[in-house]
Amino acid sequence: MKTKPRTLIALDILALILLGVSSYLALVFAPTEATMGQVQRIFYFHVATAWVGMLGFIAAGISGIIFLVTRNLKWDRVEVASVEISLVFFFITIVLGSIWARPIWNTWWTWDPRLTTATITELIYIAYFMLRQGIEDPDRRARFGAIYTLIGSVSVPITFMSIRLYRTIHPVVIGTQSAEAQGGFNMTSDMRFAFFFALISFTIIFVDLFWNRIRLGALADKVELLKLKVMQ
Amino acid sequence: MAEQSITSKPQSLKSSYWKAISAIVWKDLVAELRSRESISAMLVFSLLVILIFNFALELDIGTRRTVTAGVLWSTFAFAGTLGLNRSMAVEKERDCLDGLLLSPVDRSAIYFGKAISNLTFMLIMEVIVLPIYSVLYNINLFNPGLLLVILLGSIGYTAVGTLLASMAVQTRTRDLMLPILLFPVVLPILIAAVKASSGFLSGANINDIFPWLRLLIAYDVIFIALAFMVFDYVVEE
Amino acid sequence: MIFIETPPDTSGYMIAGYAIAFGVMLIYVLSLIIRYRNLNRDLSMLEEIDKG
Repeated sequence: MKTKPRTLIALDILALILLGVSSYLALVFAPTEATMGQVQRIFYFHVATAWVGMLGFIAAGISGIIFLVTRNLKWDRVEVASVEISLVFFFITIVLGSIWARPIWNTWWTWDPRLTTATITELIYIAYFMLRQGIEDPDRRARFGAIYTLIGSVSVPITFMSIRLYRTIHPVVIGTQSAEAQGGFNMTSDMRFAFFFALISFTIIFVDLFWNRIRLGALADKVELLKLKVMQ
Repeated sequence: MAEQSITSKPQSLKSSYWKAISAIVWKDLVAELRSRESISAMLVFSLLVILIFNFALELDIGTRRTVTAGVLWSTFAFAGTLGLNRSMAVEKERDCLDGLLLSPVDRSAIYFGKAISNLTFMLIMEVIVLPIYSVLYNINLFNPGLLLVILLGSIGYTAVGTLLASMAVQTRTRDLMLPILLFPVVLPILIAAVKASSGFLSGANINDIFPWLRLLIAYDVIFIALAFMVFDYVVEE
Repeated sequence: MIFIETPPDTSGYMIAGYAIAFGVMLIYVLSLIIRYRNLNRDLSMLEEIDKG
């Protein structure tokens, strides 16, 4: 494998610094929220990791379509990378949300549209990896993976809408707030700064992880190819 | 195939497309009529599921009102995977899929043929389960609205199910994969179908049920179109 | 939630949340590094066999 490109190393370092700074902003710099107390600080990372999960989800759907059109295995690697990162970050989002909900909603879990949709998405991702694991032929594996991400990326928004037809208690901090939502709050300017800084930082962290994961996929494919060649 | 339809006479191509679909449906129905494997398995299984629900949920008169729709749809969803798996596994076992693929028809005709026969099996199973459930629990399930919901829900379920089953049989784990792949993506169907069914059963206002019906129709249309577009990639060698 | 003068002490939850968030991210990055290292080892081994 070629040595790591300098841009990527720079990006790694930048991502780490941004993670540190946004943690400082979220944990120290931002004021403590009056009614919820310290636990409100979870919000910054909760939304930022959800954002990364969303980016991964969208990237997975798009790369799935591109793969089916171009049939270039490179796009399969992009798809696996996006699904894996999205899986990890949605998991963090769900756990953080759960921990926040315990003192605020007085429960670890509710069947709210966002929670449920995020969980369903995780289940789809797990099914995706199980599907891939059961297929040896790389081309078929890529095709089926792309089809399944495509089905997932169409069904998840429909799932969200259908659960939304039920009442929701999830707060909408940005945009219009529904009357039933509990645990909403108004952001002060310092909070807003910490919030948007976390969003931007996590976008860069996403790009960094994404790039690293795609390179890992390329390396794995290379090893697999060489293995076949040696065994013959 | 797009080129073909431009160069050759579109009329004959169209009729051969329909012929291919009906040939596959006919083949499946005749085979099922002879063996009765799929439908009898689905039926026995669904009765067992209802039996389990009966004791798990203590379906007394009060609960029955609220959970009937949920019990019915869980039963259909679980029993449906049996039929879907079976229908694709048979093709795979006897290498019929390769034969079908060699035949000079559009691949999507194979999909529609299989989907329609799967839908037929599912509807037959449901049509038998409904009166049995009615008798067992003394609930009148012959409600045209409910039948419409069952039809719409089954269409969406088999549209996605046929596509995923044809993928699942080509994996190492085979039939083990289908429910894991299918259930998270048919969740909207199940939610909407349960809501609409219980709406019709409790005699709710049609305006409250309508959004769910619309959701079912949208899901059906979207996934039939999607399956039509991607099925070529599933069966390609 | 109305008329609470001092905010309730929820810092335990906050610490748990951030610990898990960092923990999961750390595990993920470690898994990337380990997978990378293993693949590189496999690659050099295979290249040696391929040459020999």
